[in-house]
Amino acid sequence: MTPYLTVVLTSLVAYVFARNRRRLRTIELARALGRMADLLGTGVIFALVNVAAAVAIVLGLRAVTDRFVSLYSVADPVWLAVSMLQGCLWRLWHESQRDALC
Amino acid sequence: MRSATIVRSLGVATLALFFLAAFTPLSAELYARLAVPARLAPADAIVVLAAGGVLPDGRLTDSSRRRTAFGIDLYHDGLAPLLVLSGAIQWRAESAARAALARRCGVPEAAILARATGRTTHEEIGALADLLRARNVRRVLLVTDGPHMRRAMGLLRATGLDVLPAPVRGVDVPTQPAERIRLFRETLQEGLALAYYHAAGYL
Repeated sequence: MTPYLTVVLTSLVAYVFARNRRRLRTIELARALGRMADLLGTGVIFALVNVAAAVAIVLGLRAVTDRFVSLYSVADPVWLAVSMLQGCLWRLWHESQRDALC
Repeated sequence: MRSATIVRSLGVATLALFFLAAFTPLSAELYARLAVPARLAPADAIVVLAAGGVLPDGRLTDSSRRRTAFGIDLYHDGLAPLLVLSGAIQWRAESAARAALARRCGVPEAAILARATGRTTHEEIGALADLLRARNVRRVLLVTDGPHMRRAMGLLRATGLDVLPAPVRGVDVPTQPAERIRLFRETLQEGLALAYYHAAGYL
């Protein structure tokens, strides 16, 4: 559990630093957590769409060609990380557009 | 509900699920519900299901070797006179490599039946059931990984055979967050595969 204790410790140090040196308010931390949930939620939507599309492609390839593609190929955990990056980029792009209009 | 609220709720739910899966016994609990406990008893044959084929140099993958070794152990324990070594059709060398390993471990040639049987679990079980019926096998010890056992056993039982589960790996109790996440992923993956097999009418 040592790495996780380190995470708790560095989070506390970062919090104290942000409050005392950067003069950030705690209410902004709650807003940041909300935005983090937004990024994560958008990433999950991309992940679900990606996996559904991949399954459809695999089943389609099996149906229309002689080539066999295993459904296990869809279970690569890296696609989850890539989907999260897709979600983050989409969200940040969306927000930058909104900020530009304000 | 506004779409922004849905997206945020999804994010919060995902975060909560991540922490539950990594830091609580949730993964082990879900896995225990999916896994089938071993029931080792004398049978007519030991059936070892395919597992990922062979490496480019012709050696068995770790998963395939582990299943084969367990099947060989069961044979040497005297639980069945026939060792059926399945292999994936797209990697034909798997069943042959498994048979070679069994021979090196002292299993007589006459007791080994090695066949490339299918590309999916559904195809594999169908081909194996035909092979086993042709040899008047009625009761089998089925060797596969723990998470895969419920689906494979259901398919084989549907062919009329009496199936005794012999999972290679029983219910683990992971102690580290990374192990819990891996177990959660395996359980989720196999849960989805089970749902797919039910939806497709295989089970």
